[in-house]
Amino acid sequence: MLPLVSLTLFLPLAGAVLILCLPKPAARTVHSIAIASAALTLVGALAMWLQGVSGQGFSQVEELEWMPSIGAAYRVGVDGISLPLVLLSAVLFLVALIYASSLRDRPRAYVALVLLLETTAIGTFTALDGILFYVFFEVSLVSMYFMIAGWGHEDRQRAALMFFIYTLLGSLPLLLAILGLYLGSPEPSFDMRAWIADPPLQGAAAMWALIAMLITFAVKIPAVPLHTWLPAAHVQAPTVGSVILAGIMLKFGTYGLVRFALQMAPEAFRDAGVVVLVFGVVSALYGAFAALAQTDLKRLVAYTSVNHMGYVIVGVAVAALTLDPSVRATALDGAVLQMFSHGLVTGALFLLVGMIQERAHTREMGEFGGLLKTVPLLGWSFVLAAFASLGLPGLAHFPAEFQIFLATLGTTPIAVAVILGIAIIAGTFLKALRETFLGESRQRWNRMPDLSLREILAVAPLLVLTVATGVAPSWVLDIIHRTTSALVL
Amino acid sequence: MGPDLALLTPEIAVLLTAIAALIAEMLRRPRISLVVAVIGLLVATGLTLRLVGTDTTVFGGSFRVDTLSTWAKLILLPATVLSMLLARVDVCGSAREGTVYSLLCFATFGALVLAGAGDTMFLVLGTLLTGLATFALVAYPDTDPATEAAMKFFVFASVTTAVMIFGLSYWFGASGSTLLADLPGMDTMPMAVILGFVAVVVGLGYKASLVPFHFWAPDAYEGAPLSIAAYLSVVPKVGALFALTQVVRELPADSGWTAVIAGLAVLSMTYGYLAALVQDNVIRLLAYSSIAQSGYFLLGIVAVGSSELALPSIILFAAAYAAMNLGAFAVTAATGRTLSGFGGLGRARPLMGIAMVIFLLSLVGIPPLAGFVGKFMLFAAAIDVQFTWLAVVAIVNSVLSLAVYLRIIVPMYRRGESASAATDPSHGIVVITAFAATLIIGLAAQLFIV
Repeated sequence: MLPLVSLTLFLPLAGAVLILCLPKPAARTVHSIAIASAALTLVGALAMWLQGVSGQGFSQVEELEWMPSIGAAYRVGVDGISLPLVLLSAVLFLVALIYASSLRDRPRAYVALVLLLETTAIGTFTALDGILFYVFFEVSLVSMYFMIAGWGHEDRQRAALMFFIYTLLGSLPLLLAILGLYLGSPEPSFDMRAWIADPPLQGAAAMWALIAMLITFAVKIPAVPLHTWLPAAHVQAPTVGSVILAGIMLKFGTYGLVRFALQMAPEAFRDAGVVVLVFGVVSALYGAFAALAQTDLKRLVAYTSVNHMGYVIVGVAVAALTLDPSVRATALDGAVLQMFSHGLVTGALFLLVGMIQERAHTREMGEFGGLLKTVPLLGWSFVLAAFASLGLPGLAHFPAEFQIFLATLGTTPIAVAVILGIAIIAGTFLKALRETFLGESRQRWNRMPDLSLREILAVAPLLVLTVATGVAPSWVLDIIHRTTSALVL
Repeated sequence: MGPDLALLTPEIAVLLTAIAALIAEMLRRPRISLVVAVIGLLVATGLTLRLVGTDTTVFGGSFRVDTLSTWAKLILLPATVLSMLLARVDVCGSAREGTVYSLLCFATFGALVLAGAGDTMFLVLGTLLTGLATFALVAYPDTDPATEAAMKFFVFASVTTAVMIFGLSYWFGASGSTLLADLPGMDTMPMAVILGFVAVVVGLGYKASLVPFHFWAPDAYEGAPLSIAAYLSVVPKVGALFALTQVVRELPADSGWTAVIAGLAVLSMTYGYLAALVQDNVIRLLAYSSIAQSGYFLLGIVAVGSSELALPSIILFAAAYAAMNLGAFAVTAATGRTLSGFGGLGRARPLMGIAMVIFLLSLVGIPPLAGFVGKFMLFAAAIDVQFTWLAVVAIVNSVLSLAVYLRIIVPMYRRGESASAATDPSHGIVVITAFAATLIIGLAAQLFIV
C-alpha cells in the first residue's frame, strides 16, 4: 500500500526543493516543474478520493513516531470533512500555478513559496496531531507573508506586516488551547482522534479553550469584528496570493471551527452556540453590505468572502445547537459544501479580477463598461462565477446555502434573517456586472485582448467544477454526509 | 575520589584545553592555540556523551553530574567552538590572539561549574570564573568603547556578586550547610529562604541578563568584539539559568519563589522586546532580544519541581537558543552592525538571507523550527503548574518579538540595495552549523527530551 496521504502531502514540497536545488534554471523549467508537481499532487488527491472514507472516524490514517515521550507523532488521515478540502486545495493550487506560469520576476522563489503553501494547506487539512496541525497552520502564515511582501502591489510591506502580526496574534491562542487539551488528556497525547473521541476538557476549562480557539479561527475565517486584515491583504496581494488566501486559507478557520471547536469542546460550544451564531449572522450581513459599498472589484470579492464564510459559521453554530442528529448532519453538510464551493467560485473570481487588472492596471468598476463585448470569454466567465457566488440554483453555492438555511430554519428560525445577505450579494454583483461588463463599451478598452490559452486553462476547471457541484452536488455531498451523519457530539 | 574524577573527565578536559591553549600562545603559536582549543572542546563533548543518563553527585554532593549538567556540556561546548570560530575573524593577527581562545575555555569552564552546581560555593566560584574571563574578553580590543564596556560590566558584576554572597550567608546561617541539597531544611525560616533567594537571583540574574539586572548587557555587547557578544549571549547566560534551575529544585514550593521568577519573566520578556523595538544598532537589538529570551527560560524554571516538563523544556530551549542566537550573530558578523547593513542582503546573498530569516523566525517561535518546540515545551510546563497567565504574557510577547525581528527581515528584501557581506569561511561554517542545528532541533526534538 502506498502512503497516499503522505505522498500527496509532500509532493509539492519535493517540487519546491527540486526547484531550489537546480542551478540557475530557466523560468520555463521552473514553471514546468511546479505545474508537474501540482498535477501529481492532484492525482494523489484523486486517488485519495477514490479510496473514499468510512463513516466512522478517520480513514487512510498514516502514523509515524515523532516525539514519543510527549505523545506527539506524525499522524495524518482524512474524513468526509477534510477530504473535499484536500481535493479543493489540489485543484486550486494547480490552476493557480498554471495562471502564474507567465511570471518572470524571481519565479523560482515565487513558485517555491506557492508549493510550500500547498503542502501546508493539505497538511492542515489532513493533520491528526495537535502539534502537526499547528506547525502547518503557522508555516502557511509565514509563506503567505513572504508572498505578499515580495510580489504584492504598491503598499505591500505594510499590508504584509499587518497580515503577519494580526494572524500570528490570532493563532497563538490556539497554541494555548492545544496545550490545554494536551494537559487535560488522561494520557498525555497530541492525538486529535483521542481528543475528538473523548473531549479532555470540561466545564470552565473547556470554555476557556473554546474561547481561545474561537479567537484563532475568527481571525482566520475572518469573522466580524476580526476581519480587518482581510481587505488590506487582498488588495495588496498578488492574484495567486489572493486566490490561495481566499480559496484555501480562509478554510483553515472554518475547518478548525468544526474540527477543534465543535468536535473537541462540543458541550462548551453548545453553551456558547448562540453567541457564535450571532457572530455568523453579523459577519454574513456585514460582509454583504460592505461588498455593496465597494467600487474596487477585488475588495468587493474580498468582502463577499466575509459574507460566505458567515454562512459557514451559522451552519456550524446550528450544528452545535441542535439536538437532532439529522438536522446537525444537514447543517454540517451545508457548511462543508459551502467551504468547497467558496473555494471554487472565489478562486475563479479572484483569477478573473486579476486578469482584468493585468490588462487595465485598474480595478475601479467606474472606469470600465461594456467589457462583455470587447472580451466576451472573460466577461461571460465572470458572469457565471458571479451568479454562482450570489447563490443561483444550479451553481455551486446553492445546494450549500440551501442546506444551511434549511437546518437554521428548523433550529433557530430567527437566524434566517441571514438570508437577507443573499439579496444584498445579488444586488452587489448585479451592480458590478452592470458597471463593468454591460452598457457602452469605452474607447480605451477596445483593444483589450480576450483570454489566452493559459488563462482559459486556469479558469475553466474551476467553472466546470462549479457547474458540476451545482447541478449534481451528490458527488461531493456523499463523501461529506458519510462522516457528518455518523458524527457523535 | 577515583570514580568522582572519572565523572568529571569532560570538565578536566576543558581545563587542560584552556591551559594548553595558553601555553601555545606563550610559544607565540596562536594558530596552534586555536586548533588545540577546538579539538580539546570537541573531545570534551565526546567524553560527555558517555555520561548521558547519569544522575549522581561528586565531592560529597557539591557538584552534580545529572541531566542538566550533562546537557549543559553538550550544548555549551559546541557553542563555544562556534564562538571561537567567529572570534578568529575578529582577533586574527592581533597581539595575544591565543589568549582569547584560552579565556573562552576558562569562561566556559565557569559556566559548566555553574550548570552543575550542587553547593552555594560552586555558584560563587562559577560566577567569578566566567566573570573574570569575560571581563578580559570584552576589554580585549583595547579601544575606548571596549574598555568602557568592560569597566561597566566589571562594576556591575562585582556589586551583584557581592549581593549574592551576602544573601548566601543567610542560607548558610539558616541551614548550617552550603549544600543546595540541605536547603529544604530551612522550612522553619521562610524569611531567610526568600532573602537568600532574592540575593541569588541578583547574582545569577546579572549573568543571565534578566531585567532589572540587565543594564550592562547592551553596552558590553556593543563595545566587545562581535564574537564575544555572541558568546556572552549564549554560554554564561545558559550556565547561569541552569544554575538557577539547580537552586530552585531544592526550594520549598510554598516559599514564594515562583512569584519572584514569574515577575522577572514578565519584566524581562516585555522590557527586552519593547527596548529592542527602537534599536538601530543590530547588536543592541540582539542584546535586548537575548534579554527577552532569558525571560522565556523562566517559564520553565517556574515549573521546576512541580512538572515533569520543566527540565526537558529548559534543556530543549537552551539548545534551540544557542543554535539560533549564534546563527543570528554570525550573519550579523558578516553584514555589519547597523540595520541598514542588511538592506538587500536577501537578494545579494540568497542563502545567507534564508539562513537569517530562519534564525529570526526561530527566535519568534515559528514552527517547525527549534525555537518553536522550545517555547512550546516552556508554555506547556508553565500551564502545567497553573501559570497559564504567564504563558499568555509570553505569547503576547512572541507577537511583539515578530515586530522586532521583522525590522531586520524587511530591509533584507528591499529592492535596489545591495548589502556588502564580508565573506570569511569561518562565518560560513558557523552559519551552516547553526542553520542545520536550528532545523534539526526543531524536527528531531525527541533527542533532547530526556
